[in-house]
Parts: sequence; structure tokens; C-alpha cells
Amino acid sequence: MLKLENIKKSFVQPDKQQVPILEVPSFEIGSGEQVVLIGPSGCGKTTLLHTIAGITNPDSGKVFLDNVELTKYSEATRDRIRANKLGYVFQTFNLLPAFSAYENVLLGMTFASKKKSPQRARKLLEQVGLGHRLGNKPHQLSVGEQQRVAVARALANKPALLLADEPTANVDPANQQQIVNLIKESCEAENIALLMVTHSMEVADQFERVDRLDELNLVVSQLKTAT
Amino acid sequence: MNVFKIAWRSIQHRGFGSWLTIVSMALGVMMVIAVLTIHGVVSQSFRSNNSFGYNIIVGARGGGLQLTLNSVYYLSKPVENIPYEYYLAFCDAETREHNIKNSIAYRAQQDIVETSTLNSPLSPGIMGLGAALSDSLLADAFEFQQFSAMKINEPGLYKRYTHTAVPLCQGDYYVDPDNGLAFRCVGTTPNFFSDLVLDIETEEKFQFSQGRCFVENGPEHGLFECVVGSIVASRCDIQLGDKIQATHGDPNSSGAHIHEQNYTVVGIVESTGTPNDRVVYLNMEGFFLMEDHAKTVEKDSVLDSNDDEATGSVDPFFDDETDDNSQEDVKAGTTDDHSDEPQPLTDEEEFQRKANATRIPLPIEQREVTSILVRTSLNDEFGVLSQFLPPLINEGDLETTLDWTPYRPERAQKAAQAVNPIVEVASLFELFVNPIRWLLLALTSMICVVSALSILVGIYNSMNQRQNEIAVMRALGANRSKVMMIMLCEAMLLALAGGMLGWIAGHGLNAALGPLVESRTGVPLSFFSFAPPVPVSVLTQGLIPESVASFGVSPEFLLVPGLMVLAVIVGIYPAISAYRTDVSKALGK
Repeated sequence: MLKLENIKKSFVQPDKQQVPILEVPSFEIGSGEQVVLIGPSGCGKTTLLHTIAGITNPDSGKVFLDNVELTKYSEATRDRIRANKLGYVFQTFNLLPAFSAYENVLLGMTFASKKKSPQRARKLLEQVGLGHRLGNKPHQLSVGEQQRVAVARALANKPALLLADEPTANVDPANQQQIVNLIKESCEAENIALLMVTHSMEVADQFERVDRLDELNLVVSQLKTAT
Repeated sequence: MNVFKIAWRSIQHRGFGSWLTIVSMALGVMMVIAVLTIHGVVSQSFRSNNSFGYNIIVGARGGGLQLTLNSVYYLSKPVENIPYEYYLAFCDAETREHNIKNSIAYRAQQDIVETSTLNSPLSPGIMGLGAALSDSLLADAFEFQQFSAMKINEPGLYKRYTHTAVPLCQGDYYVDPDNGLAFRCVGTTPNFFSDLVLDIETEEKFQFSQGRCFVENGPEHGLFECVVGSIVASRCDIQLGDKIQATHGDPNSSGAHIHEQNYTVVGIVESTGTPNDRVVYLNMEGFFLMEDHAKTVEKDSVLDSNDDEATGSVDPFFDDETDDNSQEDVKAGTTDDHSDEPQPLTDEEEFQRKANATRIPLPIEQREVTSILVRTSLNDEFGVLSQFLPPLINEGDLETTLDWTPYRPERAQKAAQAVNPIVEVASLFELFVNPIRWLLLALTSMICVVSALSILVGIYNSMNQRQNEIAVMRALGANRSKVMMIMLCEAMLLALAGGMLGWIAGHGLNAALGPLVESRTGVPLSFFSFAPPVPVSVLTQGLIPESVASFGVSPEFLLVPGLMVLAVIVGIYPAISAYRTDVSKALGK
């Protein structure tokens, strides 16, 4: 479903020096598979997610999504593929403050070429326990509720792959488990592959496959594999 | 959810900042709308009065523009007067005869003839018969010579070129005793309302919302009937049957005084949307009889010297015992022919004098008019006459060939001029109104640019906060063009909201200023008054071929679309900034 080959990415420092930040010889996720990626801060986890999502292009290497080589396409095509096949849950939720919970979920469908389904948006919000808060703006929701809306938004287009970038990092412990369960169960229910970045071993332990992204050595090693 | 909704949500989210942008733009648009509408409506009023139903104005020699302003718009101080005989030059035979028979000269001639006939000795015998026949023939010959010189049975010199000629007499004002508002009084004939049209295309005529037109010499009020324009009626609360008095001269000047005659209001003219709504129309026959309106006539000049020597006649109006009383009021202060000490009149005589004074018209030698509105013959489809007549009159044709000269030679020294009001108004526009229009357009354009810049400032200031929103949208699959479109839509929506709010506020300002503008200019202005259409070729200044841009459009309808275009232009900068947003960096913020 997702396949990375020899991905390399580096950033240019202000002194023009190139600093390698990501080096992944190979990485794969099967259809509907749920993977947790752990690693220390600054090891390139978010950059890896951005690369997979086509938000940034790697300096070299290939990204395949559903056997389509994402990296060979233009940015506009990558945007379209992202809109249709990927869902993204951010660490800081990133709900648009001008829109209600319902509209934020609808917004997840807006840029995809699929037909928008208001019913699905409502259903998703009901699934995450916010059926009664459809018209509330993000600032009227609690932190946990905001992240649940973000999850619903990421699932809006029935993506093939859900990327979650430390979705529980800013959530209180009581809500952490709820969010994890929500993501896990939703992906299982709709056969969505999941790649979740976290630095919480507590969260990681709940998943069958956990990969580690090492700093400096920049390789993905499997800590735990699905049995 | 389309880009407009996303943009509108963003505008709503920025709440106070968006409102400030919208309000600042609305204020600019409001000013522009008010300026365009008021200037346009007033200008159009100037232009539309060209089609009042006349195309030549004859008046005293001097500035043509002043004559036009005076006669068409009742603006500026009244110009000098011209002899009444000029008016007769445009009249038909019947009107001329009626007027000439009311002349001092005609009556003097008639007296001479009658005296000659009565004095003929009807002695018996052949010699006596011969003498009587001789005197009778002489009298007939004299009558023929004098009256034929007057050509009383012939139409005026220019009648064949004329469809309608209406005299106007100005110089008096009506001052409302309650609120002090002053409106111009114009002495004219009933033809003003029956023959002149408001619009030459539609032949629309004046209508009376109440009452009727005054008559020249009515059974109820004699010569002192008047009608008032709609604005005068409403501002001064004048009703039918009210008695009003005219003030002689500028009411603000020290020399002004109120005429003793009471005019009875017999009609209220329906609103025309022209300066005519601000006028009190007096029956000209009564106007002439008011104090200081009759011109002094020297006895010797009534007839030429030969006539005086031959007949020893004097002005029958001045010396005739029966008429003396009736004309005393007219002549008071205007002639110096009061050799006898005035005898005090009894109450009955005084009543009779006043009654007569309201019935007997002023002789034409004592009459003057301020201007004559002439509509040339209807056969003049191509307007040749309106081009041909003014130069003819201006070259002195009237003075040298007028048929009144035999009995009023000295007045030929007074020279008249004729102007084409359309040409005069066009020159006024060229000299004065057009530059103002361009100045206003320049100012309003600057206001629009400043308003559009306020959009730029508003959006630009929010860009920092919005980098993250843009990045999220990009992460959700929005491409660069989409986010750019959202920014441009936002600018357009701000312009639309500000423009529409300003448009409504501008028209609200028009409604608020309407009474003031109407009272000052006579032009009605309401919420639904729109800036009149301007040819697109004028606005584009040659950018679009004239053949394509020949149609007219109200500039205010271009304002909001124009602002939206401007908004797109100024919105390009933040839009490009959105386009270039580094999603990875912005998501990390």
C-alpha cells in the first residue's frame, strides 16, 4: 500500500551547509496495516510524514502509494492524490478556527475529487461522540474534542492511508486513550492503513507493529512486528 | 464547500478587522455614490432642460450664458429687459392686433382720426360737401398710413419661423412670511403651460396637480391670478385660493419692497423635476401693473414729432379723464406727467380706481419682458431655424426691420440678442461642469484606490495568523491555485460587502440630503436617484473603440465591479504570499 525506497532528505542551514535529516532505505505498510513510528525528537518523523503525504519532495528516492509513484508527479498532482487517498491528523489539531466542527469535517472533503457527503460528515462526528457539537467552533470545544474532530476530518474522504503525527501529544491522559482507540477502531472499521508517529511507548504498546526511526543513523528498524 | 464560502468564513472569523475594512471601504463608496449621484442628477437636470420645448431665448444683449441661466434655470440675477415689441415679432396676427390696439400710439391715432372726422364741417352745398369729403379722405388716408405702418393685421416678422413664443418677466420674488424662503416670481402668459412642452420628444406638457392655469383677465380675480410650482406649494404650504404678494427686487437687498397687489393662487403645477417647480408664475398682465414694473413713456415719444405737430395730440391714457384714474397707479413714479395737484379720492372712487386697475392692461409701450422663449417651427426637423435665427437677431435684424419702429422709433436703440440654450449649456458644461466632473472622477478614483488598499492592509495584517490555516488547507489537499483563489475571493467579497454597504449608505445620504438639494437647485433627489448614464467611451477614454462603447451606463453601477477588480489587483500580493506558503514550515508553527 505504501512503499518508500531510498528516501533521502536534507535541509540547508543558514551557513549553506547541508544537514541530512532523513534517510530511509526502505519502508512498507500493507493495506489496512497499522504502524506506529517512534523516535527521539528531531529525528525526522514529521518530515517523513510530510514526504509520504507529498507535502515535501525528497531529495532522492521514491514514494509509492497504492502502487502509484508519488514522487514523480507534480506538486498539483500530489495535492490531488493527497486529497483523495490520505488523511492527516496533526499534533496541534489544526482545526480551522473560522469553521464549525461540522464544517471542518466537510473541509476535509472539499479538496478531494470525490463527491462531498454531508451525511458522512455528521456520521463521523457522531462516531467520535460529537454529534451534539456540530455547530461549535473549535474554541468552543475542549482539547480532546478538538482532536476528535481532527480525526473525523482525516477520515472524511475514506483515505487509503491515515497519517497521524503525535495525535495524543497535546491531549490530557484521560483523552489520550480515547483518541488512540478512536483512530485504531476507525481505521480497522474502514480498512484504512495507519502510520502513527508518537513518542509515547504507552501508545506504541497498543499496536502490533512499532517501527523506530533512529537519529543520525536515519534508518527504520522494526522494534515489534505483527505476529 | 466552495472557495467563496471558505473566504467568507475567513472574513467572518476576523470579525472586527474585517468590519473595519468593510466600513472604511463603505465610507469611501458612500462618498463616491453621493458625489456621483448629486453631481450627475444636477448636471442631467441642466441638460434635460434643453428639451423644454424651446430652442431659442431672446433677451437683452449681454452674456448669453447669463440669459440662459436666468431664463431656463432661474439662476443668477435677472438680466436687463427688452421692449415688449420684440415679443410681438414672434406672435400671430391676432395676438399682435390685440396688443397693438392696447397701445398708446394706436389709441392716439384713433383719437386723431376720430377728431378729424368729427371736426369736418358738414355744411350744406357743393363747397361744403367737397370740404367734408376732402377732410374725410384725408382722415382715411392718415388712418391708412398710420395703421398700415403698424401692420396690425399681420403676423409678427418671425411668426412664420415660430411655433411657440412665451414671454418671461422677472425681477420679483415671493418670500414666505412664515419661514422666510424666497422663490422667484415669473410673469408670463398662459401659453407657458398650454404651449410649451416639458420634453420635446414626448411632447409632455405641464400638468396641474390642483386647480387650473391663470387666465389673462379672469372674472374672479381680474389680472391678478397666479399658479405655483410644486416645491413652492409644499415648502410654503400654499393652498388654492391663498393670496400672495410679490416682493420687488432681491429680498436680501435694502431696496426691496412688497407690492401691494394680492395675487390669488388658482393652480399648483405638478412636480416636473425641473427648476420650474421652484417658481411662482404670475399672470403677466397683472405683473405689468405692479409698482415699478411699468416703464416711463415720454409723451413726445409716443408719436413722432410730425404727428405731434400735426395733431397736437397727447397720450390719451395720460390725459383722458376717464382713464386717468385707472392708470394712475401704473404711472405713479414712472411718469412725470402729474402737473395737477392730486385730488383726494372718495372711498367709492378709490374702490373704483383699484377695481379698474385690476382690469385694464398696461399699454405695450410701457411693457418690457426679460426674455422670450421661442420654439421654432415644427417643420424645422433639422434644427436649421434654431441655428439661423439667433445670428439674424444678433446682427440687429429685429431693430432695423421690426414693424413697430414706426410708432416706437426710439426704442429701436435697445438691442436684443438671441441664444440657443443648448449651445449655451454645452459651453457651460465645457467650461465649468466637465472639468468639475473630471476632478470629481479623479477624486473618487483616488478614494476607491485608498479603499481597495484598505483591503490589502486588512488581509496582509492577517497573513501571519493565516499561514497555518493555509498550510492546513494545503495538507488537506488544496493546491496552491486554490488557496490563491480563496485569498482573491476574500478580497473580492470584502470589496463587494464594502461596496454594497457604501452604495446603500450613499443612497441613504442622497435621501437625507434630498430636501436640501431640492430646495437649493430644484432637482429632486431621493434614495432611488441614480447617477445618470455616461457613454462608456467617455469612461474608457479610447481604450475601447467608440463603436463598441457607444452605449451609456451609470458610473455607479460600474463602481462596485470596478472596486472588485481593484480588490483582485491589490489582493494579488497576499494571494501570491499564500501561494508560496511553505506548508512544512507553516504546519510546524
